Amino acid sequence: MSEKSNRGRLRGRTGETLKSWLIMLPGLLLMTFFVWEPLLESIRMSLYKTRNVELVRFVGLDNFISVMGKDDFTQALMNTFSYTFWSLLIGFALPILLALMIGETRRGKGFFRTAVYLPNMLPGLAVIILWSAFFSGEKSGVLNILIGKLGIPPQSYLTKAHLVIPILIVIATWKGAGATALIYMAGMAGINAELYEAAAIDGATVWQRMLHILLPAIRKLAGTLLILQIISVFQIMYEPMVLTKGGPDNASLSLMQLMWQYAFGGAMNYGKASAVAVTVTLILLVMTGIYSYFNRKESDWD
Amino acid sequence: MAEQTRTGVIRDYDMHAPSVRVGYGIILFLCAVMVVVALFPLVWVILAGFKDLREFVSSTRLLPASFDPKTYLTTWNQLGIAKNYLNSFLSVAGSVVCALLFNGLLGYGLGILKPKGSGAVKKLVMLSLLMPTTISIVPLFMNIQKVGLGNSFVPLWLSYGANAMYVILFVQFFESLPASILEASRIDGCSQLQVFFRIVLPLSKPICSVVAIFAVNAAWSDFLLPYLVLRGGELQTVMVRLFVFSTEQTVNEDAMMRSVVFSMIPPIILFFIFQKQLTENSVSVGIKG
Repeated sequence: MSEKSNRGRLRGRTGETLKSWLIMLPGLLLMTFFVWEPLLESIRMSLYKTRNVELVRFVGLDNFISVMGKDDFTQALMNTFSYTFWSLLIGFALPILLALMIGETRRGKGFFRTAVYLPNMLPGLAVIILWSAFFSGEKSGVLNILIGKLGIPPQSYLTKAHLVIPILIVIATWKGAGATALIYMAGMAGINAELYEAAAIDGATVWQRMLHILLPAIRKLAGTLLILQIISVFQIMYEPMVLTKGGPDNASLSLMQLMWQYAFGGAMNYGKASAVAVTVTLILLVMTGIYSYFNRKESDWD
Repeated sequence: MAEQTRTGVIRDYDMHAPSVRVGYGIILFLCAVMVVVALFPLVWVILAGFKDLREFVSSTRLLPASFDPKTYLTTWNQLGIAKNYLNSFLSVAGSVVCALLFNGLLGYGLGILKPKGSGAVKKLVMLSLLMPTTISIVPLFMNIQKVGLGNSFVPLWLSYGANAMYVILFVQFFESLPASILEASRIDGCSQLQVFFRIVLPLSKPICSVVAIFAVNAAWSDFLLPYLVLRGGELQTVMVRLFVFSTEQTVNEDAMMRSVVFSMIPPIILFFIFQKQLTENSVSVGIKG
């Protein structure tokens, strides 16, 4: 970072400092209006009784107590953990596998990369509606047509409580796995090929090279992507809202969807909605904290 | 595609071993399966869009009986999608301008100018990257209501000027620019803003195009905040319409699937134009690494 001292000459006098801040001001104002203030405001709002956009009076933790006392909260909390579990089970290793396989291809690599990335570009809402035609329980549903060719009678999918969450995760994985695979491929491309050559000369098999050179090299990246995946799947909201409306019988209701229902589902109870949002934030903060604690330990090892 | 050195674990000489060759065959087969899984739903929905309602509800064939483009045209006209397209384009255009201008200027301040105290702001921006985004949609919507910007593109445009990820992308890129060029231009008497528009931006085409592509795609696909801001009005975008269709079930299944196709066309075109930038290593690393 020797550049830092050179850059230093760009600032210096107070007039310059002021001008620099003026240049950043529009961006800072927007960040405040769209990101930072709403975040703080949602904490404040969760402690108030609200009527439409007005804060009526301070009620302490009443919103939290009332929200958490209801069955749908318990259900949504468990569902959200279930989403996370299935997402890790289905969606975590798959991109690594895809990246491993595409990375080994000697021809057509560009085509494979393009094909797996394409679903990621499609609008998420359109993807959910598209897949609803696949999992339709009618005999004209795409999956039922396909299994019909094997002689299996039509099944219903989205009305089965134990299937809806895995199905939603399969759809999310279909959309996102390719893009994540490309990130892993970038990480793998950074490995010096001479390492493989040297290992091969020492008699290491292809398996051994993968286990002892490639996988350790992407371990840190995998850790980062893991926590990002948890953060994003924990906020799952419109997917169940559109595909199943949270059903059958709240079996796919997520926490964020519950927040949306409180706020915009007719009741306009922004205080209770904020209480749910703050709860989700707290859970995520704790999980991120645990992650960075272990991550720090790990880097001590290195 | 500058260097064509092999990066894989399997080296050329491994290919002599039969077991490795079998393994490689399996890999190729699985890659082919993967391509089919990735593309089949997309191809299917485009072709299925030619089905009429009766076929959609009762036919047990994957493909439509006939490929009459009228099905698509009728839906396009009946639902008045053209107007939604125009709205979407307007919304996207303003969003991209805001994404480049405001995040770029903030990134310039945090990455190059670095006035006293900007380090703390940079940390704050980094922190917001980890913060769940949908959490604050309620108070954000209330803010927009309070300043009277409901039923307008302005809040949607400006919301793209406040994207922590784009700011960080700019900062990282700007920090890699050679300080000597910037300094020389300062000595030549350019003001800070002139340096930004005349020196920094022209040098930053790669990162600007990355942010622009991501902003176009995000703004096109976005529907939650746009729905809250634009619902019921004349300015609804394609995705807002699609969201309304899906929640209120006012359109038939066949028209719904055709609307899905309509909503996918611009992103697919964008993808094929910029597929190289999008699938290039550097970009994806910048996003999540």
